[in-house]
Amino acid sequence: MIKIKNISKWYGDFMVLNNINETIERGQVVVICGPSGSGKSTMLKCLNGLEKFQQGDIIVDGTSLKDPATDLIKLRQKMGMVFQRFELYPHLKVIDNITIAPVKVKKIPIRDAIQRGIELLERVGIPEQADKYPGNLSGGQQQRVAIARALAMDPEIMLFDEPTSALDPEMIKEVLEVMTDLARSGMTMIVVTHEMGFAREVANEIIFMDEGRIIERGTDKTFFTSPKTERAKDFLNKILL
Amino acid sequence: MGSFDWRVIQNNLPFLMQGLLTTFQLALVGISGGFLLGILVGMARLSSIKVIYYPATAFVNVTRSLPLILVIFWFYFLVPVLLGRSIGDFSSACVAFVAFEAAYFAEIVRAGIQSVSTGQMQAAYSTGFDYRLTMRYIIVPQALRNMQPSLLTQSVIAFQDTSLAYVIGLNEFLHSASIVDAREMRSVELYTLVGVVYFLICFEMSMLAKRLEAKKGHGQ
Repeated sequence: MIKIKNISKWYGDFMVLNNINETIERGQVVVICGPSGSGKSTMLKCLNGLEKFQQGDIIVDGTSLKDPATDLIKLRQKMGMVFQRFELYPHLKVIDNITIAPVKVKKIPIRDAIQRGIELLERVGIPEQADKYPGNLSGGQQQRVAIARALAMDPEIMLFDEPTSALDPEMIKEVLEVMTDLARSGMTMIVVTHEMGFAREVANEIIFMDEGRIIERGTDKTFFTSPKTERAKDFLNKILL
Repeated sequence: MGSFDWRVIQNNLPFLMQGLLTTFQLALVGISGGFLLGILVGMARLSSIKVIYYPATAFVNVTRSLPLILVIFWFYFLVPVLLGRSIGDFSSACVAFVAFEAAYFAEIVRAGIQSVSTGQMQAAYSTGFDYRLTMRYIIVPQALRNMQPSLLTQSVIAFQDTSLAYVIGLNEFLHSASIVDAREMRSVELYTLVGVVYFLICFEMSMLAKRLEAKKGHGQ
């Protein structure tokens, strides 16, 4: 479904992504971890064209991202994204945050969009917050709204960019529960996170990145019990303490 | 106190009111025209296209480096040269004000748009919005809210600055008071009136700006 072929990216002289290769099948959950500055988020943002890359190509469902003729706007409609800092629209109510893209982009009638929006809020467990503004919600609630907003476009792939790292510990669980449910429902997910409990539970593959490279990959079991590289061992020791 | 004679105001009220009306008209044209032009120039200042960015930037930097009084003079003498005929002192002052205020409003608009985080833009793009939809529904509404206090403050300044149009003989409020004064020799009464009127209008607008700022703080 997604094929990443030899992509490299530079910021000036600095190489952020170094020859990344990866294939992700439909229904897979892939977790990307690694120290900060290792290029995880940058790679994730390359997948939906929010960041450009200079070398290689990414093929999503047969569409090449390198091809200048590719309609990125269209492509992004089937890829939902959840951000570290939620990025809800502060001037819109929760329900409008969720319905604005279906209504303005997909031209879905407002009534249908609202009904679907309420269903999604029920799915993430906060239907009673529909008429509030994002600023009045807790971090965990905001992130769940952000997930609902992404799901409202009926994406085939969901990208998560450190969805819990801006949250207080007690709110992490409620967000991870929603994500676990989503993974179990068969959604294709690519998740940048350090939540190894989540990775252990639902990931089909775990990728470890450092200095712009994938230096280790494995299924949950092999990765956690017997990491091959020193760098990954070191990292796991630090975050699993 | 006995030497004050407030009847001078009563006796010349229609003439003074005419001046105040001219002030209002000039302010209205200058502020609304300047704001509209300022939105365009402000967005052009953020453009990555060089032929749009550079002229807009040059316009803003040059205009903001000139005293308003010079710009008023300059348009007054330049426009007849360009058009071959005079357009009258009111129209000339309007053109000068719109151009001058646009440079200031443009910087407010630019800063307002930049005050909205790039994360908001990425979030909108990630749901399939294009540039136009993102600007219209996500960025500009937030930017406008952020810039409201600055826009009002700039409008207060623009309102006060209309008095500078007296240099080309435009009969605005301050100038009409000085004409009456030349005839009646009642400077204290007349200029007190002018001061009080300017104060009341500008103070109200400043209070409104303050209230908006407080409200903005709550909403976030």
